[in-house]
Formats: sequence, structure tokens, C-alpha cells
Amino acid sequence: MKKSVNSNTIVENIKAIRDRTILKRKKFTNDQLNKPVSFWIKDDRLLNEKGKEFTIILRTKGCSWALSDSGGCSMCGYINDSSIENIDDKHIINQVNHAFQSKLEEIRNEGKNFILKIFNSGSFFDESEISEEVRNHIYQKVYESDNIEEFVIESRLEYISKMKLIDLKNQLNNKYIELAIGLETVNDYIRNTYINKAMFYDDFLKVFRICKEIGIGVRVYLLFKSPFLNEQGAIDDCVKSIINLVNLGVDTISINPINIQKGTLLEYLWYQNRYRPPWFYSLFKSLRKIHELKKDSTFPRLISNPSGAGTKRGIHNCLKRECNQKMINILRNFVLSQDFNYLNKKDAYYDCDCLTRYRLQKNFH
Amino acid sequence: MNYFYEILNKRIGYSRVGRIKLSKEPKKYVKTPNVILPMRNFLMKDINFLEGFEDHGIFLISKEVFLKIGFLRDKFKNTTFIFTHTGTLQTFIEILENNIDIFSEDNIILLIPFNIPTTILDGNFAKNEILYHLKSVKKLLENFPNLNFGLSIKIFEHPQFLDLYSPLIKENKNIKLLNLLDFFTTNTNFKNVLDLIISIKQNFDNNLVLMASGRIIPKYFPILIYLGIDLIDSSYLLYLTSENFYDTIEFVLPIHKVKYFPCSCVACQSKLKNFQSLKYSDEIFEYLCLHNLITAKTYMNKIKQYLRTEDFRAFVEKTSFDDVLIVSILKVLDRQYFDLIKYETPITDSFSTVKCFGPSSYYRPDFQQFRERLINYFSPETWTKLIIIFPCSAKKPYSASKSHKKFQSILRKFPDFPGFQEIILTSPLGAIPRQLENIYPVNSYDISVTGFWDNEEIDLASQMLVELLKKYNTKIPIICHVSDKGYKEIVLRAQKQLPNQFYFTEVYKNLTTSDSLKSLENIVKNLKDSFDLKENIPKYYSKSWVRKLVKIADYQFGSNIGMKIFSKGIKVKKNDARKNLDIIDIENKKLLGKFLVKTGQIELTLNGAEILSAIDKEFNILVFDGDLIKGNTLFRPGIVEFSQNLIPNNYVIILDKSKKSVIGLAKLIVGSNYIKNSSNGRIAKVYEKIS
Repeated sequence: MKKSVNSNTIVENIKAIRDRTILKRKKFTNDQLNKPVSFWIKDDRLLNEKGKEFTIILRTKGCSWALSDSGGCSMCGYINDSSIENIDDKHIINQVNHAFQSKLEEIRNEGKNFILKIFNSGSFFDESEISEEVRNHIYQKVYESDNIEEFVIESRLEYISKMKLIDLKNQLNNKYIELAIGLETVNDYIRNTYINKAMFYDDFLKVFRICKEIGIGVRVYLLFKSPFLNEQGAIDDCVKSIINLVNLGVDTISINPINIQKGTLLEYLWYQNRYRPPWFYSLFKSLRKIHELKKDSTFPRLISNPSGAGTKRGIHNCLKRECNQKMINILRNFVLSQDFNYLNKKDAYYDCDCLTRYRLQKNFH
Repeated sequence: MNYFYEILNKRIGYSRVGRIKLSKEPKKYVKTPNVILPMRNFLMKDINFLEGFEDHGIFLISKEVFLKIGFLRDKFKNTTFIFTHTGTLQTFIEILENNIDIFSEDNIILLIPFNIPTTILDGNFAKNEILYHLKSVKKLLENFPNLNFGLSIKIFEHPQFLDLYSPLIKENKNIKLLNLLDFFTTNTNFKNVLDLIISIKQNFDNNLVLMASGRIIPKYFPILIYLGIDLIDSSYLLYLTSENFYDTIEFVLPIHKVKYFPCSCVACQSKLKNFQSLKYSDEIFEYLCLHNLITAKTYMNKIKQYLRTEDFRAFVEKTSFDDVLIVSILKVLDRQYFDLIKYETPITDSFSTVKCFGPSSYYRPDFQQFRERLINYFSPETWTKLIIIFPCSAKKPYSASKSHKKFQSILRKFPDFPGFQEIILTSPLGAIPRQLENIYPVNSYDISVTGFWDNEEIDLASQMLVELLKKYNTKIPIICHVSDKGYKEIVLRAQKQLPNQFYFTEVYKNLTTSDSLKSLENIVKNLKDSFDLKENIPKYYSKSWVRKLVKIADYQFGSNIGMKIFSKGIKVKKNDARKNLDIIDIENKKLLGKFLVKTGQIELTLNGAEILSAIDKEFNILVFDGDLIKGNTLFRPGIVEFSQNLIPNNYVIILDKSKKSVIGLAKLIVGSNYIKNSSNGRIAKVYEKIS
């Protein structure tokens, strides 16, 4: 892996905040370790139709990058859900089983097709988080579930090998598989200096090509309004990234507007009023612009399920519940239908007076 | 003529009046200083905005849609636009590449943005960000060498980071404008502000247009212009509008708290009052935005008027009375940076009254300049045998006041009156020899006179008095005709530092009663011959105006120069038409110069200049690259050498390339710092030249 572009300053700051947060953490009980962090079923967009998502957030040891001397990504606080210490395979298997058992009936009754997303807020292929035994157990579970049509896992690039991907493909040859990668942006400088990802676009391309060769789909996470970016900068970065990825031919782009997570450098900046989460208007502007620029292209699946939407810590316009709820509905309708018309400005939804405030203030956020 | 910015006049401090040439139409300029108004879609739909600002000279645009040729060419062909982008530099470059034809031809200044990062973690982080940003900027400038650019500068509260930009700015002549982002807000460290400005003025081309943008409210416009800013971006007023703030200049209030509208603009007169109670609404934003922008423009017009015809420094001081940041800036600039700023401050000005408000005025650069110059260049008349100290008067020049007329009527009773040196004490100018009562700022200042003096005033005057009196023989008696406690204290403090004998007159009620004047007369009679004077008054130098002109010449051109220029004797003749005085050589009847009453300066003729040049070839000269001057303006490329102590509005002699002959005379527009740090621009107005 190439050396990170920039300075020790951001690393020092991230690490200091991370260490302080981890110190205050309480140990998880056995019971907690046997259950996932969270799991749910809700409407989602499958590759070509509306369907349902079944998401499981596993509690593992935690992202190795976050636990390393680098401190991890500047906006990510998911390490707070992790055990930090080594965790038995049996615990993780129990977590998977618990989630499946709890939702099996519902999955069967839905009669719809499902996309199963297994996230460990780290890397699925990192042996220290998820061993081969656990992986195989998960593959088995997925394979046996008829309603599950698509399967998504996530990983940092350094843990992805052709061998592991082939193994995955072989075991789940009856499913559509997507490997989610936290690219965040196509801009190396933003990714490595402001997000502290230590990941390069060229390395992503290598993995992308392997996935294409093997027949595994690629899902790219884009971060909307990275730390140190302003509102227009976020729009520019998002548009540029999506255009690049559309041209490249990725299968899914998941746009993740920032949410302020505890124990992060970003939270520190947010407390000091040096960062404001993005406006919905900016996100929609980006999507409309992409549609305008790439009207004649085939778009990959575009999804966005922002955490904390409508709250001070998440993507929000003003703080009126009604305004933000409208925005959340617009976004959900767009994602489920993939129809850009839902984002049309002339829609009656754009009637909150905060739109004028946004226009007047945008250059100062 | 291939220039971007041209200075027209220097004013006090770093303030200046100039113009940017940009429009395709010939002789169309944008005058500076000026306020830049933001152009937005929603404003363009507002008829009031269009009507109110259709003649405004300069707008800021950040949307590609405004670059449409029809819009620019048809509606606003006489207007200048600054185009920038509020997002990434990369996108800005893409827009530039996509619209290169428009940018190459039209009246648009491209402003390279520096928006990201929005904040920093520490100095190291900031430095790395700047260096990274400049790499891309350098490439951009190299790719488009024929376009003029503005460069946005962020120093993240570390003025030393300006050095990082320095190589780029100096190497790329197509950078014409520096946009100082966020260097001035209410939370700014004023020392950083000053360090940055001083650094720019001392190290970069002074023809670079300086622009300020960020969180600036109109209250700060005067001090920014005083610091040399030419263009101010008013976009922050849109942000204030969005938060429902109403700007009154002195303060910014939430609109719902405004009970009495202090403004009669179209917005305040119409519906703003009706929508006052609505917290957030499109209507209130529209009118509030209009009001705030009108306020900014109107205030800028006021500033421009002050710059042209009034005492701008007094105006800036007035604005400081409700803001400690402005107070701090003025104080530190006056005290710490006077040695630099004196070369930026005109030696004279011609407004009716120079106002002194108190401590904030004591160290104004023109006052400091006056005091310093007086001490450095005033030398005693060799025939002085008596020194008499008087208080100042409200009327200027002092001789025209009733009180001084009475004093002088006593002194003129004595035929050896020309041997008396009168010194007038005043705040805040100090101690003024009578000979210099007609020059700026002595001829036009005004201060509140209450009888109450503060310690600083007394100190200033007494120190100056000491410096002046030190030039004289210690045996010359000093008569003090003062009564006010303040004046007495000045003299007493001076007395403690000097070996001279001081004699106080008896004052009965006030200084001009017959008894008081009698006391003065008696003391003068008793003491006028007590000093053993070895020198007689030279012929022709007994007349008051001759004595004055000699000392004024010293003040303008150097110590003892006056006696040398006018060595053969002069007579003074009033030029009735212009109320000036002609200075004529008694021997050869040649006109040596004119004394201009309004500015208090001697304007030499070529005859006078020839004499001065023979005495001192280094003082107040410009060396021209040639033998003959064409036209009435001297430009920078024509100057090959110049004196290091040049000050705006002072007079200079122009020598030919060989430095042997005087080929012209001019009045400086700028000072030596500007000449040193520029490669083009107007330097001086030629008023006489050999043909």
C-alpha cells in the first residue's frame, strides 16, 4: 500500500480523540456479544426493482484501521460499537443466527426479494474481525435463504484478495454479490488528507477489475460533504465522483451524507461550529446535476439511506420536522424508483422558507 | 496602455483612489475603492435590485449561467464582473476551460478560489494545505498566461504564511488582484491584520488590487480602505439577511427588534415594516437583502466622498468609537508602523478642517510626520535673540486671530522684532514656530478646547518644545505668555529638562487684557538685549513672509535649504487671482517659486529648482530615463532612480538620465515605497518642464 499523502496533524488529532473515547468505554457483556449491534428489515432498491433489505450490523473486534496508530477515518465513530478486544468466532456466529432467527418468519412472509447486507463497520475479509469459519457460516446461511437475491459485504482494499473473492463467488453462485468499498470520493487528496482513509484510487481500480473479472458487483460508498469541505465543495466532489464512477461502470453508488458520530474529529469540529452537516438541497442539487450531465448514460443503482437525517447531527435543512420529513420522503422515493423526477425543483415539496436561507447562506457553510 | 490598475491619488494611511481598466469599451473604468455586490438568481428577478444597482460598477458572480454571452454583452457591457467559484478549485478550472472564449474577451476578472479546507487543525496543517493548493494554482497560471487573474489568499491567522504565496505572486505577472479571505472579522487578531497588510505593501507590487472578502460588515469598510483595500465583497450581507439581521452600519440588529427604521431606502419605505414580525419568509428576505446591500453601497459612496474632499482619517476615527478592533488597529498602526506609513501619507491635503477627536488623533500619520519633519528640518534663525511662547488660537493661521494680532502688535513695537522667535503651543501638533503657521496641518486643524488637557497631550507638546528649544543657544531668554493650566504645565515640564531661563508674564484675567499685554511688553523690553547676539539680520530677511518662506522651504526640502535657495534675497508678491504668493529673486527678478495658500506648500519654478539641485542632488529627486519629458504625467517605467524619502504630494525635481540637468518639476502622486514596489503606474504630475 502506498504511503498516505499528508500530514501527521490530522492523525494525531484523530488518535487523541479516539483514544479518549475508547478509554471511557464499558466492556460488553456476553449477552451483548451474542447479539448483533443492530438488524432490521425495510424497503430498499434491488438492482432492478423495489424490494426489501435485511441488514445485520455485526459486533466484531472493530475496524483494524480505526484501531491502528492512524486512529482511523476522521468521521467514523463505529468503533464505539465494537468490542476492541478479540472476540470468539462463536459470538459472531451467534449474532448471525440470532438475526436470522428473529427475522426468518418475516422474510418468508414478505414474499418479496431481499438484499442481505452484512456490515461489520470494518472489513468482512479482515481475519482479525471475521475468520474464514465465520465467513463460511454466513455464506451457508445466505445460500440457503431463497428470498435473498442479493448479498452485500464491505471491506477495505488491503483485505481483499482474488482468492477470497473466488471463494465467495463459488459459494454463492446463485446470488448477486456486491462488494462495498468505502472509496468516499474519487479525489485521493480529500480521501487521504481530510478523511484519513489511506486508500488510493489506483488501488481501488485494481480491485474493481478483479471483481469484474470474477463477476462480483462493486458498490462504492461516497461520503457527501467530507470534513473540511464546504457545501459547494461537497456538491462538486459528489458530482465529479459519480461521473467518474458512472464512466467506470460500477454497479451501485451509495451516497452517504455525513452524520456526526461520537468520539470523532468531525464531532470535535462540529461542537466548535467549524462544520455543519450538509443540506438536503445540496444533495438533490448534486443528483440533478449528474442527471443533467449524464442524461444519455446508463446509470448504476444510486442509493442513499442517511443516518440521522433531519437531525442536527445528520443531513438536514432547517430543523423543522415537516421540512426534513419531506426531504427524507423525496429521497426515499427517488431511491426506490430510481426516478430523477422526484428531485425536480418545481415539485411542491420545495416550499419551505429555508430554501431561501440556504441560497443566501450556502457560501458560508 | 497595458495596465490593469492605476492609482489616481494617495490618501492618508494606505488608502488610495484608483481605477481598474477592464471593460471592452474604451475609457471605461471601475473606480476604487468600491463595494462588490453579489449577483444571484433571486436578486436578478427583483426589479428593485435591478433598478437600484443597474449602474453599479462591479459585481461578483459564481454561477456559470451568468457567463452566458447574451447576458454579459447586452445587459452589462459597462460593468465589471469578478467570477469565482465557491467550491473546489478543480471545478473552477473546468468552468474556465469550458468558457475560455468568454474569459479571454469580456469584462470579467477570474478570481482563483481557495475555499477548501474550511478550517484547519494547526499551523502545520494550514501550511501543507496552502502548499498543496498553490501547486494547482501554479499549473493553472502556467496554462493560461494570457488571462488576468485574481488570487484568493488564506493565511489561517498566521501572517508569516504570506511568504508561501510570495514566489507565485512575484513570478506570475498575470496575477492582478489579491483577495484576502477571512483576514478581517470581529474575531480577528488585529496584529495579524497589520502584519499581513504591511507585508503586502512592502514586498509586492503596489499595483496589485487588494480585495477583502469573508465575514465583513459595512462598519469595517472605512478601516479596510484605510489599510489599502480597494474592493470589498459584500456577500456576507446575504448571510446576515438569512439570519434576519438588519444593518444600520453602527450595529446589526435582528429585524424584529428594529422599532425605528433609520433608513429611507426603497425596501425600508415599502414593505419591510410590514413583514417585520415574520420570522422567516421569502418576502422579508427579499426586502431585507435589498436594504442591506443598499446600506453597503450608500456607505461606500460616503467613504468615497470623504476620500475625495474631506478628512478621511477623522472619518475612520469616528467609526472606531464603537469598535475596539478598529481602535486597536489604528493605535498600533500609528505607533508601531509610522516609519513605513509615513511614505504613504500625503505631506499635505486640502480639505477645510482637519479634526482632532482626542487620543485617537494624536498620532495620526500626518501629524506625526509634521512633528518629525519639523524637528528634523527646522533650524533656528542665526539672529534669534529672544524666544516667546504663546498659546494657539482657534482661528487659523494663528496670526489672523484677534489674540495673536494683539500679541504681535506688542512685539512689532520693537524694531528688532525679526530677532524674536515666536513658538506657539498647541495640541496635538506640539510646538510650532511662527514661520510654519501657514502649512498643513497647522493651517487647518481643529480640536476641542476646554482647558482640560490629558497627560499625553501635555507630554507630546512639552517634548516637542524641548526638542525645538535644544536647537537654540541656552543663554537666549524664553518668555512665556500663557495662562491656561495646560500650557503652563507644558512649559514647566520643558523647563525641567532645559538649562534655559524661563520668564513668565503677569496675566490679569486673560492674555489679551491691556495689563497682560503690558506685562508682556515690559518683559520683552527688559530681556531683548540680554543675549549677546553676534550676528545681524541679513538684508531682506526681516520681513515676516520672507522668514516664513525660508522655513517652509526647509520643511519641504531639507534643513537650511531655504536660506540657500533664497540666498540672494527674495521679495514676496501676492498673486491676487489665486491668492498665492509669488517668490521673486531680488537680484535677477526671476520667479523662484509660488507659495500655494491652500496647501501651504512652495511650488518651485525651474529657476528655483536649478538652485536647489545645485545644493543637494539627492533630496527629493526623480531621475528620468531620457532628456526631455513628454506629457504631464511621469510614469514608473520612465524612472531610473529616485530619492528614498519621497512622500505623496511633495514636490520633486526631475533630473535627466545623466543627473546633470533639471528637466522638470512635479508633484508626487505616490511615495518612495510605491515607486520601489511597482513596475508601472503614475508617479508624479509634471507642472513645469524644459521644452
